[in-house]
Amino acid sequence: MNVLKVSRLTIAAFVLPCLIIYVGIVFVPIMVSMYSGLLDWNGIGESKFIGLDNFRNLFFHDPVFWPSVRRTLMFSVFSMAEIPIALLVAILLKRYIRRPNFLVSSYFLPVILSVVVVGQLWKTIYNPASMGGMLNQVLEAIGLGSWAHAWLTEPSVAMYSLYFVALWQYLGYHTLIQYTGILNVPEEIYEAAKIDGADGFAADRYITFPNIIPIFKISIVLAFIGSLQAFDMVMVMTGGGPAHATDVISTHMYNMSFLSMKYGYGSSIAAFLVILCLVATFLINLIFNKLEKRFS
Amino acid sequence: MSTSTAVSLNKPATAAGRGRYSIAKTIVIVFLSILVVTQVYPLLWLILYSLKTNEEILSGSFFALPHAPQWSNYSAALEGNYFRYLLNSLFVTSVTMLTVILLSSLCAYAISRFRWRYGQVVMLLFLVGMMIPMQATLLPLMIIFKNIHVLNTHLSLILPYVAFSMPIAVFILSGFMKTIPHEIEESAVMDGANIGRIFRSIILPVSVPPVMTVCILTFINIWNEYILAATFISSEKLKTLPFGVNSFVSQYSVNYGAIGAFLVLGALPVIIVYFLLADKITQGMVAGAVKG
Repeated sequence: MNVLKVSRLTIAAFVLPCLIIYVGIVFVPIMVSMYSGLLDWNGIGESKFIGLDNFRNLFFHDPVFWPSVRRTLMFSVFSMAEIPIALLVAILLKRYIRRPNFLVSSYFLPVILSVVVVGQLWKTIYNPASMGGMLNQVLEAIGLGSWAHAWLTEPSVAMYSLYFVALWQYLGYHTLIQYTGILNVPEEIYEAAKIDGADGFAADRYITFPNIIPIFKISIVLAFIGSLQAFDMVMVMTGGGPAHATDVISTHMYNMSFLSMKYGYGSSIAAFLVILCLVATFLINLIFNKLEKRFS
Repeated sequence: MSTSTAVSLNKPATAAGRGRYSIAKTIVIVFLSILVVTQVYPLLWLILYSLKTNEEILSGSFFALPHAPQWSNYSAALEGNYFRYLLNSLFVTSVTMLTVILLSSLCAYAISRFRWRYGQVVMLLFLVGMMIPMQATLLPLMIIFKNIHVLNTHLSLILPYVAFSMPIAVFILSGFMKTIPHEIEESAVMDGANIGRIFRSIILPVSVPPVMTVCILTFINIWNEYILAATFISSEKLKTLPFGVNSFVSQYSVNYGAIGAFLVLGALPVIIVYFLLADKITQGMVAGAVKG
């Protein structure tokens, strides 16, 4: 007997409670959202079916939409750019530090904090020096006062300030993931390589790197999903302003639906977001399947 | 003969190597320590900030210690509904965790051990769901909840929290349950135990480690969740901690010290839990990331 044979009723009792909540809260709303994307509706009153008009407006007539898509993607690019740094930190931790627990837990500390705490903390840090903002005070103290900015209210720098907070918060997460990956590479491979003359960074190039490609995938998926969760951070820190300079896809969706009361239009953005997520995950998986084949 | 030459030739090289090694090691330690400063100092700065007067904050230096710790900032912060928010968060998070554990372990057991046709289909459904961002359901859930009159109740948070925690929970639990030896269940069946009893007395007790992982992941995600709470809840007395922190900060925008104090208090519960369970939390979060 390999697998239990049980009655349909038993299966239903085990599976249905979970499945009903899950499908009802995740998939049904997505379907509703796909349909509402086809409506001209403010969320309360009468709705009118307008076909793909919302999508047409979104793609061709919305000056905020494409920049917000670009910023969302840039958010993932910046988060992914952090992965090599995390890998370097992880390699150094493994090679030089015998008891890394303190370091690892310090790096990880920001990861467990709520976006609200992190966002409000950084808002305070980014404040002008006259309002007690740490960053500008530090710049003045080291003689770089001319670099001081109104970090969150100048349209040209606001978005970079937000990227940076995300990098700060998640560096520890990526480092820990890479570090765990490196620890799982069998020590015998390194020893064998040492005999063949590969040591230090050569060993990393030929052993560590190919062996943790699956870990890169995890980090990249995480960076991508994290960049979508940038929603909370943007809402807490700027709400998409000044003048849409920090709008990402989801804040645009939120502002359209709840502030401009264009519920149908907001739903079409939500539908776009879901499709973008599924396509991106599919692509990441495809690329990494190829990479893993090439390196193994 | 040749080996001994090789060894003697190698010796000076390793000595020189060790010298380089220690310089390299110093540089590495400095670099890694700087990272500790950048990751932890903002939080220490916040604690100092929370103990200063407005004047000290506005005119003082970023590394100056407060002249006299302003505990009144904390009493001002506690006059906000801190404890109410804390209780709400505790309630919502613990109900969510219990529900997730119970329902997803049942489902994971069925997926990993029962012989039925749609097991893989159900699993696939959960895998797809992992990739769906929670905020995409924000608008439709809002409309649906309004229509079934659960908007502005804790249920309107618990339901989506449970649903969005399920995919990873089912994934982790079913992955573990597949590895439980079949012999245990077989002998239990021989002894006349029914499926409910097998699940309760055998499967759940041996699944404690992955259940812990799921608990940690759910706790961190749900405890910190902000946007659903801010959208679905409007009553002051129902707000969860992150939402409460944010509304306090927006309301008291000029009382800097009190804002700092409220932020410290807002971060405190999760930091305490982290100090107690750091290793478990880091391991659990890494396990949770492995879902792509």
